[in-house]
Amino acid sequence: MPEGTVHEAEVHAVLSARSKPRSNGTIKKKVVGLSAALVIALVLPQVVTNTYWLGLLNFLIIYSILCLSLNLILGFTGLLSLGHAAFYGIGAYTTAILMTRYHVGFLPAMLASAMLALVFSLFLGIPASKVRGDYFTLLTIAFGEIFRLIAQAWIGFTGGAMGIVGIPIPKVFGMPIRTETQFYYLGLILLAITFVCLTIIVQSRIGRALIAIREDELAAKSMGINTPWYIIMAFTIGSFFAAVAGSFLAVYQTTVTPSNFRLEESCLMIIMVIVGGMGNLWAPLAGVLIMTLATEMFRSLAEYRMLIIGGIMMLVLLFRPQGIFGSSAFKD
Amino acid sequence: MGLLETRNLVKSFGGVMAINDITLDLEEGDILGVIGPNGSGKSTFINLLTGIYRPDQGAIRFGGHDITGLPAHQVTRRGIARTFQNLRVFSNVSVLVNILIGQHTQIQNRLYHLFLTPLAARKREKAAEKKALGLLKMANLADRRDELAKSLPYGEQRLLEICRALASNPRLLMLDEPCAGMNPNEMDTLADFIRELRAKGHTILIIEHNMPFIMSLADRIVVLDAGRKFKDGPPEQIQNDPEVQDIYLGKEDDI
Amino acid sequence: MLYEVLMIGVMVGAIYTLITIGYSMVYGVLKLMNFAHGDVYIFGTLMTYTLLAKNQWHPALAILLAAVAGGLLAALVEIVAYRRLRAAQHRMISMITALGAAYVIQNLSELRWGNQVLPFPSLFPSKQLMVMGHAVSLTHLVTLVIAVGVIAVFNIFLKRHKMGKAILCVSEDISTSSLMGIPINRTMSTVYFLGGVLGVIGGVLYSSSYGAVSLGMGFRGTVIAFTAAVIGGIGSLGGAMIGGMILGISENIISVYVSSTFRDPITFLILIAILLIKPTGIMGKVEQGKV
Ligand SMILES: Nc1ncnc2c1ncn2[C@@H]1O[C@H](COP(=O)(O)OP(=O)(O)OP(=O)(O)O)[C@@H](O)[C@H]1O
Ligand SMILES: [Mg+2]
Repeated sequence: MPEGTVHEAEVHAVLSARSKPRSNGTIKKKVVGLSAALVIALVLPQVVTNTYWLGLLNFLIIYSILCLSLNLILGFTGLLSLGHAAFYGIGAYTTAILMTRYHVGFLPAMLASAMLALVFSLFLGIPASKVRGDYFTLLTIAFGEIFRLIAQAWIGFTGGAMGIVGIPIPKVFGMPIRTETQFYYLGLILLAITFVCLTIIVQSRIGRALIAIREDELAAKSMGINTPWYIIMAFTIGSFFAAVAGSFLAVYQTTVTPSNFRLEESCLMIIMVIVGGMGNLWAPLAGVLIMTLATEMFRSLAEYRMLIIGGIMMLVLLFRPQGIFGSSAFKD
Repeated sequence: MGLLETRNLVKSFGGVMAINDITLDLEEGDILGVIGPNGSGKSTFINLLTGIYRPDQGAIRFGGHDITGLPAHQVTRRGIARTFQNLRVFSNVSVLVNILIGQHTQIQNRLYHLFLTPLAARKREKAAEKKALGLLKMANLADRRDELAKSLPYGEQRLLEICRALASNPRLLMLDEPCAGMNPNEMDTLADFIRELRAKGHTILIIEHNMPFIMSLADRIVVLDAGRKFKDGPPEQIQNDPEVQDIYLGKEDDI
Repeated sequence: MLYEVLMIGVMVGAIYTLITIGYSMVYGVLKLMNFAHGDVYIFGTLMTYTLLAKNQWHPALAILLAAVAGGLLAALVEIVAYRRLRAAQHRMISMITALGAAYVIQNLSELRWGNQVLPFPSLFPSKQLMVMGHAVSLTHLVTLVIAVGVIAVFNIFLKRHKMGKAILCVSEDISTSSLMGIPINRTMSTVYFLGGVLGVIGGVLYSSSYGAVSLGMGFRGTVIAFTAAVIGGIGSLGGAMIGGMILGISENIISVYVSSTFRDPITFLILIAILLIKPTGIMGKVEQGKV
């Protein structure tokens, strides 16, 4: 069998001459950056003691998990999903119902929520993987609306428009989580897990297969990539982590209502991802920060909220479509 | 028994018979040139063989197995790789990642490997990267590994696409008009590259309009005309065949 | 009972057809989802509401002005969101830009009209007629006649008028059309303009027959239009009609015989089922692009 290889020695020369210094440099930079971020994240609640700001930080964490997971679908696979809020909602409602009605502990409830979201995303992902890009978007809209309308209408099960209240204090390995700071650290752990899992996936052949689908689906098929399968995979993994965020939201807010999971939320997540940049994994986090601060700053202008969101969205796409920190993933 | 055998392949689009009853055998280690006027069905032929289109009738056997109607990704797994007539590199990713994507079928890491046996998974990734670099070295692209594919000059993008196809370690490589849009220098580089592949024993099917190029490389030439196999023989014979010249001259001045 | 349900279903179907046509033409031309469509027509409908209920204008004049305003707004969306993006840009970017535009328009309408349900004046006298032994509301009948009339006029425009032919040509093949000397940009803007105009007419008919208008109907309209276009097959007038009718009739049957709360979820489930069984839509063809 012919092999497209050359002599080991040559390869070695190439590796040592070119890649080593460079990859060492970037790895060092990455390690420094990551550990700095980690240290800041860990000491932040010691510095920020104001509950308002701590609350904001906790929402930052929730949106970070949401946007990281959405980015796998949107930025890596190139699929416009407008149903992310529904999976977020499935996670929140499942946790809320299990904990209030069946007295399930937080961690099992969270796991169950994520698994349920996975099942639903599989159910939706199978048709979605077969249709063209914009039909995919339509499917996710339809799914999101079905979820929201059912949450609103099935009063006996979901509490209708009032939602579910009185979600108990979560216990993690016996430790009750009550204060803003405690929630912050719990959220940070969940965010870190999400980040690590997605990083591992994105840097593997699976992540590259997703990128290939985004770049050119037909060529991806010709590379031996089973494209429907990978589309389903991106969609289910993304939805899984969205449900984790929803689960955290449920215990943090102690209530869930349908209005938490409107289409508008999905749009907000998309904008965060776009403003940050879609090309790499962490860039959306910048978008989360910017958009959360922006919407907070304009809180007194609540009636202009959508105007501001939509305006930023258009301005970014018109003048810097790759986002603030993204690579030029979507510019031809 | 040949590596690739097609039997009475038929494919039509609406009323157009793009491929009409083509039966063809390809031996392992051969370089087969496919020529023919525009619209004679050359690309359609490759698209049928690689599962991009489904044949209306007929059968395709590859390495002794029936692969008729298999989806594209499974055909690639069986060992057929290709390039496209209109360049289709993954433009917004680096040269190296293009090759790594090409190695998709060669890297065995599944989702659970990444989390359950991370070290072994990492090792397989590293090995793949090493192999990818070897391929890039062969095409003189190694020092551009971190550049975005779209930033390469056209000829190098074509080379990159061939390397990406080779990365799946195919038993049969199919190139659809690899010279299109290349300057003479780039063409020479490409010809050398293909000779190198031949020396290594690759089986290659090349569609090409550039006669000197294809005649100097191919062991055998098949001429398609209006979806039919019009001629099949060694390059010298095809070159001097007046009928072949007729179908080209009669239709256009493409050469 | 069933007769009446079907009658209303057909009327709603005709209105949906109007809303879908504009959407479907745009889609056929650009192959891009236009998220702003619903917000444009609801803007026009709300404007009609103000002109009629507050300023006491003559209905014809009010609708004309609002339809033109809606059309211009749609054309503006095309120019801002699509035109500069059309050249060598990932499709998704244009789609999301339009989503941003939808938000802006929606918010502007909300600032002016709020998001509560407003009582829309009835355009036609509320009489009952007897047709073949069945009582039929005059409003429904007149609405149906107007909707069908507008569709027919639009159809003639497409087939006969120079610009109509250009639109059909562009939706077949953009690059060939531009080679043939058809002014692409102007044609596109016209498609958007007409889409907006037809949408506003549909919105006004809908609101007047139900006696209500609210901002929330905008987004629903976008989804309805897309769903109908997908069901019927995108880019064709006939397809829009089939899709609009199927949706209008099935919706009314569901809300009467099942539950009006589950009308939209069931509609969406039907859509998912259709795409599951036939990913290209009921009337859509499988297209294998040339490789
Ligand atoms: N996907 C398709 N849909 C419709 N017709 C097609 C399709 N693919 C190919 N054809 C038609 O089939 C015929 C053969 O096309 P093909 O691309 O195979 O020719 P070719 O020999 O590769 O030509 P060229 O030298 O121009 O590349 C042409 O008439 C073409 O229009
Ligand atoms: Mg060809």
